[in-house]
Amino acid sequence: MKFPTESPFAWRRGLRHFYDRPSPARRGVWIAILALALACVFSTGCGPRETRADLVIINGMEPESLDPAILTGVADMRVGNALFEGLTRLDPRTADPVPGLAYRWEITPDGRTYTFHLRSNLVWSTGEPLRAEDVVYSWLRALDPNTASSYASQLFYLKNAEDYNSGKLKDPDQVGVHAPDPLTVRVELNSPTAFFLDLCAFSTLAVVPRQAIERYGDRWLMVQPVPVSGAYELRGWRLGDKIRLHKNSRYWDAANTHCEWVDFLPVSSPTTALNLYETGAADVVWDKDLVPIELMEELLKRHDFHTFPYLGLYFFRFNVTRAPFTDPRVRQALALAIDKARITRKITKGGELPADNFTPPGTARYHAPPGLGYDPERARRLLAEAGFPGGRGFPAFQYIFNAGAGGPASVHAKIAIEMRQMWHDELGIEMELKQLEWSVYLAAQNKLDFDLCRSSWIGDYNDADTFLNMWMSNSGNNRTGWKNARYDELMREADLQTDLARREQLFQAAETILAHDEIPAVPLYFYVGFEYHDETVLQGLYPNILDMHPINAIYKERSASLSKPRSSP
Amino acid sequence: MTDDLRSPNQRAWQRFRAHRPAMVGTWFLAVLVVAVLAWPVILRLVSHAGAGGRDFAALHDPDALSEAQFTPPGGAHWFGTDVHGRDLFSRVLYGAQISLLVGAVGAVVSLVIGVLWGAVAGYLGGWWDGWMMRVVDILYSLPSIIFVIVLITILEDKLKFVLAQMGATGMEKLARLLFLFVGLGAVSWLTMARIVRGQVLSLRNRAFVEASRALGAGHAHILARHILPNVLGVVIVYLTLTVPAIILYESFLSYLGLGIQPPMASWGSLIAEGAGQINSLKIYWWLLAFPGALLVTTLLALNFVGDGLRDAWDVRADK
Repeated sequence: MKFPTESPFAWRRGLRHFYDRPSPARRGVWIAILALALACVFSTGCGPRETRADLVIINGMEPESLDPAILTGVADMRVGNALFEGLTRLDPRTADPVPGLAYRWEITPDGRTYTFHLRSNLVWSTGEPLRAEDVVYSWLRALDPNTASSYASQLFYLKNAEDYNSGKLKDPDQVGVHAPDPLTVRVELNSPTAFFLDLCAFSTLAVVPRQAIERYGDRWLMVQPVPVSGAYELRGWRLGDKIRLHKNSRYWDAANTHCEWVDFLPVSSPTTALNLYETGAADVVWDKDLVPIELMEELLKRHDFHTFPYLGLYFFRFNVTRAPFTDPRVRQALALAIDKARITRKITKGGELPADNFTPPGTARYHAPPGLGYDPERARRLLAEAGFPGGRGFPAFQYIFNAGAGGPASVHAKIAIEMRQMWHDELGIEMELKQLEWSVYLAAQNKLDFDLCRSSWIGDYNDADTFLNMWMSNSGNNRTGWKNARYDELMREADLQTDLARREQLFQAAETILAHDEIPAVPLYFYVGFEYHDETVLQGLYPNILDMHPINAIYKERSASLSKPRSSP
Repeated sequence: MTDDLRSPNQRAWQRFRAHRPAMVGTWFLAVLVVAVLAWPVILRLVSHAGAGGRDFAALHDPDALSEAQFTPPGGAHWFGTDVHGRDLFSRVLYGAQISLLVGAVGAVVSLVIGVLWGAVAGYLGGWWDGWMMRVVDILYSLPSIIFVIVLITILEDKLKFVLAQMGATGMEKLARLLFLFVGLGAVSWLTMARIVRGQVLSLRNRAFVEASRALGAGHAHILARHILPNVLGVVIVYLTLTVPAIILYESFLSYLGLGIQPPMASWGSLIAEGAGQINSLKIYWWLLAFPGALLVTTLLALNFVGDGLRDAWDVRADK
């Protein structure tokens, strides 16, 4: 090919030699330039390169918030607990409360006054001393009506806390938490609360940095560095990508924090989670929803797949403010027509127990009363009594659930399809399914903008109270519009009991209203905990009934990581 | 000039029949459409024909739950079963109903809007032409699939509300389907409008149009009798290529969970369910293979038919 010598494009002359007389040397130069350009393109495409963290955990849903007072999800809590610690923390093996920021405490014989003594060497990760006033501030902040914490009820055991939260009481000094000196926290309770030390390890009661919150308001978690009280500092949070934590070297127990860098990956597709784990891109998968149920039979045979009993309930909520779900007979009919045993046998398949009531077996100091059971015949009768014989005239209604990346393949969709078909066959009613993105789903649930809504509840501490108090009228976690004065009264009375047998009876009476008579939500099954991690590589992760695993206790057997194959028969 | 006495349409048909892939595609589509339409009827008829028939119908009910979970393809379930024990063969055929319907209706919507818009722009010319084509350009620059997603998310609840006000209670679950029809049709008419406009632009100055105008024919008459019949060939060819594009769009939306809602199925949602099974341990291959194969084959057949029609109507090949 020849170019005209008088080309107006001077740069082409350079090309001309290239086309006219292809010389290997020149071609080499061109290829080198091209390669360099490509290299530039690719390196800018990747952004700043990040090394793999020492520990990569697949954590389930993207956390909604990491603010201990705001967060409600289990995935949020797992990260939140690493960042902010309470007066107690959980033992990695048993999930029992052990000394945290407080190294010892005294309880008065009537069980109503706790005196906590803080460690004298406590500092925030940014260097300021951490004092008893910070504890008082954190608890009052969670109770403050302006914080709008869904979990404020975790603090209602404190004297006057409920009135302060509802706005009836303005003076924070009257709430039962005080700091008589910088290293002492005195707590006054309404009643002897058997699980109060468990509560002190719970996120809502964790100690948060006043200095950052007062300065930056709602955005305090976005301003680096965030002062933290826990074992890890927040080093980055990219939505949909990862949350990166780094060891807090000023933590009181930093000597026993093993992993330097920890990444939490928000992955909601079970198959993606498994593939990441199998290819070594993640060390732990620890969410109950992250197990591909189609593979359950295969997984149960593996040595790195762990199952354990777990205080968790899968259920769905009715919106009792919307007709026809205002009628308890309709709610009972829908509950009675679900073959829960089929769902656990065919869909979840991990050995879950069909749930007839709200408190899982294995809950301490409690035996649940019988619920409604499975009785399609009675369901049809109840529906007819409510004015919809054979489902005629029953309005179309929607069931909302959160869908992960698996889309229609997610377990929530599968359960929804099963229930829809059961109601269609047994009761002749039509349900529409609607999958929503996680935050849209949470918003719809909070605004009571749904007919039926998939939910789950994980016990916050090992007591029946955690599964029952959320249904009280004033609880932020009720989210059904259901209010029952008798139920509230029974729950309050149970709280005041020191006699455990009497307390159990009161709880049972309350749960009968909940699971048998009124049924504002329908329990489907009790979870089994699942996680993958290879015990020959990763240690310090123990199955426990709360499925809580303090991250600072986890460590890697470096020598074993290369020699051992991932899966063996 | 040849001494061929057949009409142009007859010759086009002749050429189409000689186009092997197009004929195979046509037969495949015909069989598919017949199967899709006949299968529900067969199931209903069979269910009234004794106990054996009832069992057969129950076995192949696309929604009925059963104990036979993840059965591989075999005598009872030709395409196997899914996690709920539902017959995949039936689900694929019922899914084909939705996919083909969305493709066909979407293509018709795009046909109507595109041909009218393009013909009017090309025929009027001048300022009108410039203005109408700039609108097309602007719409072209919008990412169409995102446009449909936004349309669905914003307007769906409002449409449902309107439907409920009108007393059409059973219609709510069709709202999504309606949006797929309108939304996908509404973003697919742009190329059609451009093609038609170009054709009309060259036709409107041809001698027979001038003659008609000289004889006093109105604009509507000229458009309807002279111009549109002459762009028909191009339009039909492009239409056969729009149908697979819309089917693919729908599958894509359903794959993202924005299309058809369960338990209704389309090929896209079936493939999404199947794709959830890809992992390193155990693959239920039939969940992905059958809907995927059928989708690919159908798209291929439609493209072959479009190709054959283009060749058949190509005037230059007429010599």
